[in-house]
Amino acid sequence: MAKTLISIKNLKASIEGKKILKGINLEIKEGEVHAIMGPNGSGKSTLASVLAGREIYEVTNGSVTFQGKDMLSMSPEERSREGMFLAFQYPVEIPGVSITNFMKAAVEQHREHKGLEQLTPSEFLKMMQEKKDLVEIEAKLANRAVNTGFSGGEKKKNEVFQMAMLEPKFAVLDETDSGLDIDALRIVANGVNKLKNKENAFLVITHYQRLLDYIVPDVVHVLYNGKIVKTGGKELALELEEKGYDWIKKEND
Amino acid sequence: MALKNELSKEEFVAIFENSKSKSFAEENFINLAANNLKKYNLPTKADEEWKHTSIRKILQHKYFIGENLDLDKNQVNLFTIPGLNAYRLVFINGFYSKQFSDEILNNKGLIIKNIADAKKSNPELINKYFENTDISSENFFTSVNTAFSFDGSFISIPNNLALDKPIHIINFSDGNNKKTISQYRNLIIAGKNSNVQIVNSFHSLTVNYTLTNISTEIILEENANLNFNIFQGEGDDAFQINSTKVNQEKNSNFSSHTITLCGSIVRNDLKIEHKAENCETNLFGLYLPDREQHFDNNIFINHAKPHGTSNQIYKGIIDNKASAVFLGKVFVGKGAQKTIADQTNRNILLTQYAKVNSKPQLEIYADDVSCSHGSTTGQIDKEALFYLQSRGINRRRAEVLLLGAFISDVIDAIKVEPLKIFVNILVNNRLNGEKVDGQCAMVSGCPGCDNIE
Repeated sequence: MAKTLISIKNLKASIEGKKILKGINLEIKEGEVHAIMGPNGSGKSTLASVLAGREIYEVTNGSVTFQGKDMLSMSPEERSREGMFLAFQYPVEIPGVSITNFMKAAVEQHREHKGLEQLTPSEFLKMMQEKKDLVEIEAKLANRAVNTGFSGGEKKKNEVFQMAMLEPKFAVLDETDSGLDIDALRIVANGVNKLKNKENAFLVITHYQRLLDYIVPDVVHVLYNGKIVKTGGKELALELEEKGYDWIKKEND
Repeated sequence: MALKNELSKEEFVAIFENSKSKSFAEENFINLAANNLKKYNLPTKADEEWKHTSIRKILQHKYFIGENLDLDKNQVNLFTIPGLNAYRLVFINGFYSKQFSDEILNNKGLIIKNIADAKKSNPELINKYFENTDISSENFFTSVNTAFSFDGSFISIPNNLALDKPIHIINFSDGNNKKTISQYRNLIIAGKNSNVQIVNSFHSLTVNYTLTNISTEIILEENANLNFNIFQGEGDDAFQINSTKVNQEKNSNFSSHTITLCGSIVRNDLKIEHKAENCETNLFGLYLPDREQHFDNNIFINHAKPHGTSNQIYKGIIDNKASAVFLGKVFVGKGAQKTIADQTNRNILLTQYAKVNSKPQLEIYADDVSCSHGSTTGQIDKEALFYLQSRGINRRRAEVLLLGAFISDVIDAIKVEPLKIFVNILVNNRLNGEKVDGQCAMVSGCPGCDNIE
């Protein structure tokens, strides 16, 4: 039996007093890929943000247990070092910080946390190269400032590259497919598939079924109005694609 | 309304009048400055240009004219910029230290020496250029400077010479148990088609209340290229009034970096005049006040002729209860068609008590120009901070990364490579909360430390 990686129980969260998540229950085991679909405004991105520890959201109830530890009491950086990764829907542009320096700082802190010896500069650069090859991103990207002036596709590829560098146990992809052309989508999905193994897990948040042709989920959930209202296999995604979200709304309103 | 223990204008001037050392300047300039002094008062906040900078803290001390102290080699070496191979001029408390300077007076017309002696060896040059920028008529401090400065730097780069290495002017202040006032009067001439880089750095040897009053005139002849760097690293109780006036002739290119890392109250006036067409001016500034320090940059660019370009980028990080001022004015005269001018001032406040007064101004009388200006003041970008944290980087380190990135364009633009590396290290140490040993007697502030839980 695969081990439970993350267990979300009755999670409620709000922003500026407005209730967004109204009791999420979700359990993800090692080796699994879960997809969360749902109409706009259902709370998909809020769930991603709450899991990553974004401060503007207030968790009012529930628990998140990650590898046996209480994740909600951890800072964003602790969550990352424990193996949580969020691929941002809107990766932030940081002029003046190169991707190399950014990743160097991140990898150093991850290794320190794990009690591993630090990499030498040449080992680090070798690792950068390997991961760039793995996710098929252009070598020159790493010399540029983080996301600055990147196209939409480059930004998303850069997220997958960072994921490859940090080798998380649990990665949340927040609408990583939105705004991507089919080539970029394929590269992003290939990257994810290469990183997938028996010990990690992915939560793919998406509005469209398209991405799930490339990253095949084991479980599909439908989030609506802050709750998971339906759970099924990968065929549920196809059904949603065909029928739209109206029948879900009708069933639940 | 002078406070009981506050120096009056008369008392301030009397410090110099009673001193044994006299101005090196010609009698007519001394008289002109003396006349200006009758006209000008000590600036107060009622003066538009001093609205945000009070000098009352400066006036609360009884100063003496600085002494010509002996320097030792170790002291001087402590303040050289690592890797900077330069012609050096060293001064202490307004006095020239010949022993530690690389004086040059060669047959090709290159002169690097102190101005008091240059006045004797090259009177024709001094007479031709001294007060060309009319600096003594600027304000009280430049008038005092002209009337009473007894020395400073004189640099003359002959036509067509690209100087093989930079010039480093080191100005030490040393209170030596007395509150000390020092003045420097600098004159820098870049001849036609010449090319030169100059660094002027300021340091305190001991911690005491000191006031340094500098007036620098810079003349760029046709097609000259001059890069001027002011590095301010005096002690925590050091006051500095630094006035620079620049005249640019046709096709000349002037660039400057004003790096203010420490001092108590530091005021920099930088005024540029395009005397002829097609001049280029690039001004950069970086200021990192903390505790109760106050750093003020006041810039004026007069685009008087057509086809001129100017660009200003000033950035500051303000911590604790510190404050900063950016007052930048670009004036485009009626005849200055095709002027391109851009002004940017950006600030990050690290605490709720930190303060900035930023006022970029454009005054345009020509109709075919392209001018822009912008000013932003804010906190560290919270979205960017979260992004870095979400990759496992702790908050403190993420803040240092972001602050470093915020000012990186200003540092990257420093042309004197060893100075760039040096400033980078000092700023990084500073952002990391480490002491900047050997550079400023007391600087140890740490922007960001206060708002770290």
